[in-house]
Amino acid sequence: MDWSLKRLWLVFCLAVALVLVMVCPGCKNRSRRAVSVVGSTSIQPFAELLAGEFHKKAPDIEIDVQGGGSTAGIQALATGIADIGTCSRSLSTEEAALYKGIVIARDGLAVVVHQSNPINGLTRQQIQDIFSGKITNWRDVGGPDMVVRPVSREEGSGTREAFTKLVMDNVLVASSALTQESNGAVKELVRGDPGAIGYMSLGLSGGIKCLSIDGVVPSASTVASGQYPLVRPFLFVVKGAPRPEAQRFIDFVLSSQGQRLLESEGLVKVQ
Amino acid sequence: MNVATSQSEVTGPATPVGSGSHQAKIVVEDFIAFFGAQAVLRNIHLSIYPRQRLAIIGPAGSGKTTLLRSLNRLNDLDDDFRHTGRILLDGGDIYDSSTDVAALRRRVGTVYAVPTPLPWAIYDNIAYGPRLAGVRDRRRLDELVESGLRSAFLWDEVKDRLGEAATNLSGGQQQRLCLARVLALEPEVLLLDEPCSGLDPISTAKIEDALAELKSRYCVVLVTNNTKQAARASDRTAFFLMGELVEVGLTTQVFTNPADGRTGDYITGHFG
Amino acid sequence: MKREKIISVVLAMVAMSGIAGLALITAYIFKEGLPIIVRVGLKDFLLSGDWHPLEGKFGIFSWIVGSLAVTLGAMIIGGLLGLSCAVVLTQFCPRRLVVVLKPAIELLAGIPSVVYGFMGVMILVPWIRQHLGGPGLSVLAAAVVLGIMVLPTVTSISMDALRAVPRSYRDGSIALGATGWQTTHMVILKAAKSGIMASLILGMGRAIGETMAVIMVAGNTLDLPHGILDPVRTLTSNIALEMSYASGDHRKALFATGVVLFVIIMILNSIALAVSSKRARKAGVR
Repeated sequence: MDWSLKRLWLVFCLAVALVLVMVCPGCKNRSRRAVSVVGSTSIQPFAELLAGEFHKKAPDIEIDVQGGGSTAGIQALATGIADIGTCSRSLSTEEAALYKGIVIARDGLAVVVHQSNPINGLTRQQIQDIFSGKITNWRDVGGPDMVVRPVSREEGSGTREAFTKLVMDNVLVASSALTQESNGAVKELVRGDPGAIGYMSLGLSGGIKCLSIDGVVPSASTVASGQYPLVRPFLFVVKGAPRPEAQRFIDFVLSSQGQRLLESEGLVKVQ
Repeated sequence: MNVATSQSEVTGPATPVGSGSHQAKIVVEDFIAFFGAQAVLRNIHLSIYPRQRLAIIGPAGSGKTTLLRSLNRLNDLDDDFRHTGRILLDGGDIYDSSTDVAALRRRVGTVYAVPTPLPWAIYDNIAYGPRLAGVRDRRRLDELVESGLRSAFLWDEVKDRLGEAATNLSGGQQQRLCLARVLALEPEVLLLDEPCSGLDPISTAKIEDALAELKSRYCVVLVTNNTKQAARASDRTAFFLMGELVEVGLTTQVFTNPADGRTGDYITGHFG
Repeated sequence: MKREKIISVVLAMVAMSGIAGLALITAYIFKEGLPIIVRVGLKDFLLSGDWHPLEGKFGIFSWIVGSLAVTLGAMIIGGLLGLSCAVVLTQFCPRRLVVVLKPAIELLAGIPSVVYGFMGVMILVPWIRQHLGGPGLSVLAAAVVLGIMVLPTVTSISMDALRAVPRSYRDGSIALGATGWQTTHMVILKAAKSGIMASLILGMGRAIGETMAVIMVAGNTLDLPHGILDPVRTLTSNIALEMSYASGDHRKALFATGVVLFVIIMILNSIALAVSSKRARKAGVR
């Protein structure tokens, strides 16, 4: 069979249309039954736990938890894909104007070093100087003569934004800092490299050496009492009034049962 | 060492043709060849003389090609090949561990049944062998290319297009190119494995003419399925059957008065 | 006859929807990415190393360099290893061993990239840190991991190319007194050149496009690397690292990074194709 250019073009256009038809329903026609919770990978494991408990109490409501990142969660909220966005940092001013953030718990930000590092604590200023590149040797903070290798998170990470806000005071993280893409990767790297220093969720920092900050040892109790300075909120973000099913889930998370669950996982309750 | 005295051929010492050829160039002694467990050549004793054309005839599977490929160790390329016995070239065993196999193959050149031009220019095809042998001088290479092509009766056809791809030549020309390529190495022995099997009569005639001229300088071994070609283009003929050398002698004698009945049957076309 | 026509139309539709999908993806990437390139300016976007998306600074120079450095390293390691494997397996190896080794090498291609990355993090990175210095997470680590990842692609396609060389070339060369090695490098590698080039192109495509393993072992710093022991960020790892958190212009800048990646791959492929077809013509094959 001979294919003239014109006919080939026609078939091509048809194929484009076909693909578009196949793709587009995915954009709009999602199932409306399950409550969709999308966002921060830091919050994801806790949200899954809460969803499991909630489903036991309310078997008629399905909760669908997805990761993707804090900002992705807010985008999903904006396009209507998600009922609840999760966010492991404070909302920006523009975001705060459009959405409502509900603090479900607080998480400490741990500054972590290698097990063999004799340093036990640093001040916030020292940490800032290390991450900005001003201090490059452990000697300068009273440690051994060893190069400091700061380990940061990727631009836009909730953990990074919280760290920038709480420690860096608008000073840029040095561009020479290593960048890892998850709490786990930071932990793995710091555990293997004697010169490394990193920051991560306190709730996930089991098995690694955490420094005291400004003389305060990080723990659930120092975070709760407000003594530990590096604390960030975990947020559920909603747009206007959520659907009743989503509201019931939020209520459950804020209830004493939900809060106890979060507390037992190393977070600090808010209610 | 006079290797000619140690020969013991099936039909007794054949009288070499021509003067000065009492010393055999190649002596095959009690040679047995295996592929895997199967013996494809059994107890071969054969002498090949300089300035003579030896034709090896016999039906398919008789071991002709295996013998030919053993003479410059091309069979070594096959993982399954094993042998016992000796093959002497000018008195030295070519299967000795000290043999430089590449040098051996330059002394004992092969033309295959199917043309095997390399995908390069005609000139480079012919200069390849000398270059491998270490010839770097451009003028010397030019000489070798020209003399090779002339000896193969190809020079007049290609002299103006030596830079063209050899693969564009006709089948007959390609086969003569392969012959020229071997001749450019100035070998001592020339092995031809059914060189005309795929060629038209005119190309075949040209190759046979080339062989007739070459015999004055080389020792030629020609494996052929074509008994008429053997009769036309050889001085001596050896007849192989099922891995055995049935008889060897002057071509005229083998064709007119074979010593073994099986030879006569084959030549007259009763089997094979 | 009629059925024939229907089948042919249906098949054309299927093939075309594949192309259409590709066209739509390409169009979308360009639609999302181009405006920000225009706004920032092509020169600043490509040649500035200043990347602070939250402050509106979008310069991807360091990652173009990073991607090229890591890919080059991977091709040196993986290309050489893969080609050597292919040569040994096709020219110098007993058939019985090839039957075992070829599938084994091809199996390497089936291992998920995260596994390579994990091996890199657990074994290679600490080794580099202890024996060569630096943070371990480095251009070298990424190049080695990618080199191993492209090895099966290069080996397997090169092997097919080497095997496709007519046996007569080998026989002809050997009969002229060439050794096995001389035959291989003067005749067989030359004859298989375009196929080998294709294997390198595909390997390069895999290397430059690989993301997961690179993120795990490259260190992903914002700085331009100054040596092979320095950490590095590539175009793909930058997209993957920041995609999930990016919004607004930041997100568009990541699409623009994708556009650049797209163009780089197109350019590399065209160069490689042009080179291989030119060589093939010169050698007188087709």
